[in-house]
Amino acid sequence: MLQNLLTDGLVIGSVYALVSVGMTVILGVLGQINFAHGEYYMAGAFAAWWGIDRLGLSYVAAIPLALVIVAAISLAIGYAVMQRLVDVSFDAGIIATLGISLLLQNTATLLFGGTYQIFDGGWLEPVRVLGEDVAQQRVLIFVVTLAVFGGLEWLVRKSRFGKQMRAVAQNVECCHILGVDVRRVVLITFVLGTTLAALSGVLTAPIVMNVYGSMGEAITLKSFAVIVMGGMGNISGTLLAGWLLGIMESLVAGYVGLQFRDAVAFALLVLVLMWRPSGFFTTKARY
Amino acid sequence: MSGIGSIGPHVAKPVAGGCLVVASLVLLPVVATSYQLGTLVVSMVFLLPALGLNLILGYTGMLSLAQMGFFGVGGYTSALLAMHFGTPFWLNFLAACVVPALVAIPLAIPALRLRHTSFVMCTIAFVFILESVSKNWVSVTRGDMGLSSVPRPRLGLWSGGFEVHTVVQYYYLGLLLCMLAVAALVAIVRSPAGRYMIAIREDEILAASVGGRTWHYRLAAFVLSAAFAGAGGSYYVHYITVISPTVFDPSYTNTVLVVVLGGGVGTISGPILGSVVFVALSEALRVAPELRMMIYGLILTVSVFAFPKGLIELLASVAKRAWPLRARRSHAD
Amino acid sequence: MPTEPQTALSLRGVKKSFGPIVAVADVDLDIAAGGICGLIGPNGSGKSTLFDCCTGLVLPTAGRILAGPTDITGWEMARIARQERLFRSFQKAVVFRALSAEENLVLAGQMAAFPGLVSTFSFGPISRRRVRDLRARAGELLERVGLAHMRHAKAGEMSFGQQKLLQFASMLMPEPRIILLDEPFAGINPVLIQRIVDNIRMVNREGGVTFVIVEHNIDVLRELSHRLVVLSRGRILADGDPNDVIRDPRVVEAYLAG
Repeated sequence: MLQNLLTDGLVIGSVYALVSVGMTVILGVLGQINFAHGEYYMAGAFAAWWGIDRLGLSYVAAIPLALVIVAAISLAIGYAVMQRLVDVSFDAGIIATLGISLLLQNTATLLFGGTYQIFDGGWLEPVRVLGEDVAQQRVLIFVVTLAVFGGLEWLVRKSRFGKQMRAVAQNVECCHILGVDVRRVVLITFVLGTTLAALSGVLTAPIVMNVYGSMGEAITLKSFAVIVMGGMGNISGTLLAGWLLGIMESLVAGYVGLQFRDAVAFALLVLVLMWRPSGFFTTKARY
Repeated sequence: MSGIGSIGPHVAKPVAGGCLVVASLVLLPVVATSYQLGTLVVSMVFLLPALGLNLILGYTGMLSLAQMGFFGVGGYTSALLAMHFGTPFWLNFLAACVVPALVAIPLAIPALRLRHTSFVMCTIAFVFILESVSKNWVSVTRGDMGLSSVPRPRLGLWSGGFEVHTVVQYYYLGLLLCMLAVAALVAIVRSPAGRYMIAIREDEILAASVGGRTWHYRLAAFVLSAAFAGAGGSYYVHYITVISPTVFDPSYTNTVLVVVLGGGVGTISGPILGSVVFVALSEALRVAPELRMMIYGLILTVSVFAFPKGLIELLASVAKRAWPLRARRSHAD
Repeated sequence: MPTEPQTALSLRGVKKSFGPIVAVADVDLDIAAGGICGLIGPNGSGKSTLFDCCTGLVLPTAGRILAGPTDITGWEMARIARQERLFRSFQKAVVFRALSAEENLVLAGQMAAFPGLVSTFSFGPISRRRVRDLRARAGELLERVGLAHMRHAKAGEMSFGQQKLLQFASMLMPEPRIILLDEPFAGINPVLIQRIVDNIRMVNREGGVTFVIVEHNIDVLRELSHRLVVLSRGRILADGDPNDVIRDPRVVEAYLAG
């Protein structure tokens, strides 16, 4: 049973990592936490569901459709709202993205009804991995996550856009002088980050099977836990933190009780927040 | 003079206006229908925690999303006391203010070390922790099923007394509680401590350099706001007569957030206006819950850019433009 | 007047580094009570950091700081302000922008009028009377610095020079013992400079308040201060009578080179 739990944990951890890395790159570049992040995960799942249920597409076709739809939505939101949060105080950013979260969640509920929709798709037949039967979808999630992280590392370290991302993350004023278009970098990073969340949603939907408007809520909060544990803005750290959370959830669900599963993330979040080095809050003399 | 941080000698006009408002509120049941009064009752349920949120966010500058967690604690406390001991309302209400405040202390102490976003995340985590407790402490809270048949408020000194059961009676009870709460908030905000809290909001380092014990005031604001939230929980649970873990749902938090941010942060009248406009009105218009949440979402997002200080500020600036002479005169003195 | 010279502020071997950067290398300094001491030095010599250490804004990496006989190293800002009446102004005029001028002063005065934490929560008649007294005192101080007409104006709407005056006045509210001024004359016109100079002199004479003034405006400092200390790269370079110190060749070189 332990091996099952660990495998499960790695898979669900990959889901968390994939969603959270989106949040962390947005945080790095914009300096704000996207409180609506889980809603893009939800939107990905819903868009894919809509493609399968209403348009009769296959799962394979639904994946890119969902990504395109969510990218379009987040482009609009990024343009209208997120770009403007560049120099804004942190609580204004929280309020603004909280508002977006409400809008997205409830639009989905209004459009598709308040009941759970069943997701019909995905590759659920098991395949033999390391002596264990694992659903193909789960393997896919794990592999895709690794690929995405590899791609992100390359993007941030080697590509020109990655250099711009790092520049914006470090010093916005310098960017204005150097001619880096901060708003454009923020917009593109935002679309990228939210699309990764959507990808996670699309890939996970066959496993969780229920798709509903507020499914992204818990995801947002668990992403906090992951990025705090992994180090805000740290990409590889996010992967490890995601796996850690997934495995811990799995172990708790298996050995302690299923109802405590969601509490793991919050407990970890609080613990990590408490143990961050605080020092003097005035280490930077402000005047 | 806008409301923010305005503690000054210009008190006469607001007091007169306040008396007028109070008088009309007291006479309202003569003209309003039961349904309309019911919407006001609901708005008062949210006004109480909103006043607390205003204290910690509007006056002290800390964005805490834990309010409704304490609302739930207060509600459960009040309900349990009434159900198990048959205690009169004033006692349940008092307990509902004190218990969340006590619970808030051990939560605040580690949380206050955090800054900005981490602090907000921590307060969100608190709500989930409290929700977890209410779901799993089944022997006391009956878990997901919650408590039902919560007794109605019994207004009496110890035994006997009068049981509130009509909407009009709830309305008056709520009016009394809200007036007490507003009075308490005014007392806090206009005290020297309140001045320190505003200073902390404006510039924490400067507040410390003028001798303000910033940590203590932040703790006080957090704990006091929990008491306000608990008060609302008590009023809520005896009106609805049921309580369950759904009270920890984000929709409750979002409602209070809109009441404060949309109404007017850092003012006394802001949340009052906010609760009437955003809660009573949407109840009265029977707006569907999803649509209401979407409107709240829109308000929150737009408010950040268009009216960060809420409706009150918006109205004040409109008034200033409509009556420029009066504005100029008050500037000169 | 004290019969023997007392030390208002002592620094013993104070050192402050931020990672590899050493802002204050090794400073030993005794500031006599009732004196006006000027502190000058090229940019980056550590003057502001020294103030930060004295007021508890940063913790010195090494060394001790004493206010009178009391060791205040590591104390919190608010405690140093409240107990030792050691205040410090900031370079950018720092006031509470949303509050009126009067409110700014009342706030500054609260630490004296309401020493206990619990007392600040009271709203009874005694508390209200104390606040009224604070308001009266605030009015007098505003009068003194020439800001009486801005009494109810929001501090955020004042000009930079007025804000600096307000900042100065607020340090006078709670009976200060030591005032550290960080570039008080920067960015304001000569009339306001003179007003501040007059007030410093008056407060120093009448109240025996010790002043340490960081400034680049050496002319004003030369007239105003009894003693001049020169800081360069985190160390004291020269210390003594203002006129002598200015002519010291090492000081001239430090300014030209650094």
